[in-house]
Amino acid sequence: MIENYRFQPSNFNPDSPKEFVLLSIIAQSFFQPFSLEDNLLIILTALTSGRGIGFNRAMLFLKEGEKLKATMWLGPRSPEEAEAIWTMLSSPGIGYAELVDHNRDLISRTLEDLQPKLRALSFSLEDENLLLPALAARRKEIILVKDALNEPLVEPKFLDFIGMDTFLCLPLIAHDEIMGEIVVDNGITRAPINTKDIELASLCALLAGNYIYTTSLYKKVVEMEKMAALGEMAAFVSHQLRNPIVAIGGFTQQLLDNPCNPERCQRNLNIIQQEIKHLEKIIYKLSHFLKIRIKEPTPIDFKPILTGILERTDIKAKSENKKISLRINQGSPSILCDPVYFEEAVVNLLDNALDVTPAGGRVLIRACPKNKKWLTIVIKDSGPGLDERDREKIFTPFYSTKENGLGLGLLFVRRIMETCGGKVEVQSRPGHGTMFKLYFKAKKRG
Amino acid sequence: MKKILVVEDEKMLGLLYEEELTKEGYEVVVVHDADAAMDRVKSEQFDLIVTDIRMPGKDGIELIASIMGMRKDIPIIINTAYQSYKDDFMTWAADAYIIKSSSLDELKEKIKELLQES
Repeated sequence: MIENYRFQPSNFNPDSPKEFVLLSIIAQSFFQPFSLEDNLLIILTALTSGRGIGFNRAMLFLKEGEKLKATMWLGPRSPEEAEAIWTMLSSPGIGYAELVDHNRDLISRTLEDLQPKLRALSFSLEDENLLLPALAARRKEIILVKDALNEPLVEPKFLDFIGMDTFLCLPLIAHDEIMGEIVVDNGITRAPINTKDIELASLCALLAGNYIYTTSLYKKVVEMEKMAALGEMAAFVSHQLRNPIVAIGGFTQQLLDNPCNPERCQRNLNIIQQEIKHLEKIIYKLSHFLKIRIKEPTPIDFKPILTGILERTDIKAKSENKKISLRINQGSPSILCDPVYFEEAVVNLLDNALDVTPAGGRVLIRACPKNKKWLTIVIKDSGPGLDERDREKIFTPFYSTKENGLGLGLLFVRRIMETCGGKVEVQSRPGHGTMFKLYFKAKKRG
Repeated sequence: MKKILVVEDEKMLGLLYEEELTKEGYEVVVVHDADAAMDRVKSEQFDLIVTDIRMPGKDGIELIASIMGMRKDIPIIINTAYQSYKDDFMTWAADAYIIKSSSLDELKEKIKELLQES
């Protein structure tokens, strides 16, 4: 016998056990794209959702340098607002994702209003006379404050702000470092805070601390990747520039050593001029490559662009003695890309294909809809093909099989494809030519 | 006359090295990639090899490895625009590592030195 179960209860049910509701909400963070703000919002939502679960309101502090700064406050402003939200939540058909969406909306609506007030809640963790709530972060202890008006350890400014004399301070700690703090209270229902709620809330705080920590790690990795790319770029540029410079320097030295041989002089001057042109080309191509920025891919009719490419003089000159066969399938939809970059991507691949195709050979260009979502453009040459080693290398920056090649062409194509939400694939075998396949998003019909 | 093999993919630089080293009194053979270099090394005697590292096809490091694999005891000078390959331990197998410069003095100096030693 088998029984079937659903993965996740889609509807929010205020009667479910607290632990279950909490877990269900937190599970939402796995469905989000990786965004710290969204993940923290989910945690705050978990802490404050519904009448039965723990708390009414939650305030998030983040550590910036040595300061602990209030950055988000989630919760109803008044009993009426609370009633409206909780009624909404208990209506059938509300799912956990909607709950998070609702809170995201609530935060963005109230942020402008709250921001100046929140900004005043900023505490230096190095302050000798640090008070609660920030003191809890520095001590790395969960602290429940009761009867705050008579507690000298509580910051009056903060008390003024939340207007509640009972609240719970949850430091956000990861790897023994302070990441921030969450303060929760029951400012609407005035319900007491019990031990079970504190235990559940501490789990939320652990998660939030780790979200912040992993995000900072992720940022560091991205930064390091950028630096590595920059280093590689610098090495490449210096190499590319150095070769022509060595030639110019060497042949100039010959002119100085041997000024009276007119034939040699002329030849050297020609070489020097040629190398300077080469330098110019390198700089032009590099700046062009660095400039790629597609704002928003727009639907384009690629057919006239493809036929236009075949009329370009540079392509015509290269395709002498070679045949280019272009076929566009009937009913091909418009695609999402930037028209200029689309042309550049295709020209890049076509240019490569013509370079390796022998005289009398053929280059095929095929455009056909793959399914409703994608359209592919295939460019296939009849060149020698690539072995496995070359196939791996072709997208490496600055790798080139051409003399004077910069090794940026395919990288350029890939960047264009990625920025319009598509991709590029390559298939090749020695002796069978090489085929590049560009996947473009098709414009939805209607 | 000492015979030098220069492996340099950049044609103009190849020409420059050929002329300048010939002027120094060497017999110079210039090839433009590692495969051509291997063919020459197999069939001819050279007293010294000057090679670039970054080249289309096989790179200079692979070339050095192949030559060493043939147990040929020819002094090798790496002549490249890249500083970073100095950290690649395979380049330690070479007898000298020179960063390309608009002056060929250092290269000529090293060649002289290594040929005197051998």
